[in-house]
Amino acid sequence: MSQFDPELLEKELRKLEPAKAPEEFVRRVTEAARESAFTPRSESQSRYQSFCWWQRLRWLAPAAVAAAVLLSLLAHKPEPQPQTRLENGSTVSSPKPVLKADLVEIDEQLVASFDAVARLPDGVPVRLRCREWRDEVVLHDSARGVTIERQSPRLEVTPVRYDIY
Amino acid sequence: MDESSAQAEWRRWLDDHASRFLLFARQKARSEADAQDLVQEAILEAAQRGGKGLPPPLAAVYATIHRRAIDWARAEDRRLGRELAAHDDTPQAWFDSTVEERERANLVQSAMSRLPSIYREVVTLKIWAGLTFAEIADALGIPPNTAASRYRYGLEELRKLTREVVL
Repeated sequence: MSQFDPELLEKELRKLEPAKAPEEFVRRVTEAARESAFTPRSESQSRYQSFCWWQRLRWLAPAAVAAAVLLSLLAHKPEPQPQTRLENGSTVSSPKPVLKADLVEIDEQLVASFDAVARLPDGVPVRLRCREWRDEVVLHDSARGVTIERQSPRLEVTPVRYDIY
Repeated sequence: MDESSAQAEWRRWLDDHASRFLLFARQKARSEADAQDLVQEAILEAAQRGGKGLPPPLAAVYATIHRRAIDWARAEDRRLGRELAAHDDTPQAWFDSTVEERERANLVQSAMSRLPSIYREVVTLKIWAGLTFAEIADALGIPPNTAASRYRYGLEELRKLTREVVL
């Protein structure tokens, strides 16, 4: 059995050239690239771009839910501690009932996905890719055996340029 | 740069690289039309991110093709469309070949399509796109060491699948 020589195989594979791109395809992309580079942005396109920018921050949604839950736990003011009077007249405090999350799980599940077509106020058509998500945050306090679970629905709407379809 | 020289530069750049982008996209799309759409969208998106109206870096285009292919696969409506389109779409040859080389080209295409996608994409980007392991790692969102080990394993598998004819 001959020894496997990766370099020889690489050399043989490199002899094969990827199939040429169809001329019509190259022309179409060249034209689209030229239009994209030299067509001044309309107001609607600018609005579209800024909306896309905000869409890139969609990961903030589940993180914000988690932060809100954590902040509400931190801001929670514990009840006055019960005190026990000893025989000599002094008092001692009972242990504080503070919740400490030692495990936080953040998850998102895709519930539905569909496309819709709409028009901007100036009549420009836009395709909207809509996705329904369910964000879930679970906090565990294993010392106290407490689990807090919070789910919230989220609709993600991503505009897709009509002219690239 | 004026409009006509920019267009000439785009044309040269596409003549050099479009076939390699399409090779990568054909492995991820179910039809030739989908592969072409995927490449066109990825090029325009990567160019817009660059913001100068010039051809974007190659690794950025491959990364965008990879990401968009995943998005497309998730979309229910596209899946239905592809299944309908697949009925009357003739499979596209992945490689150019002379009559003598045709048998070997068919063998390599067949072996590549049987290779698990995680190995196939790394082998394609290394051999035919000419990217470094660092660029492949960026494009696919994996560590460079993983890219290198997937490449080695992919070559070994490819060697097993093509052993008798290629070497």
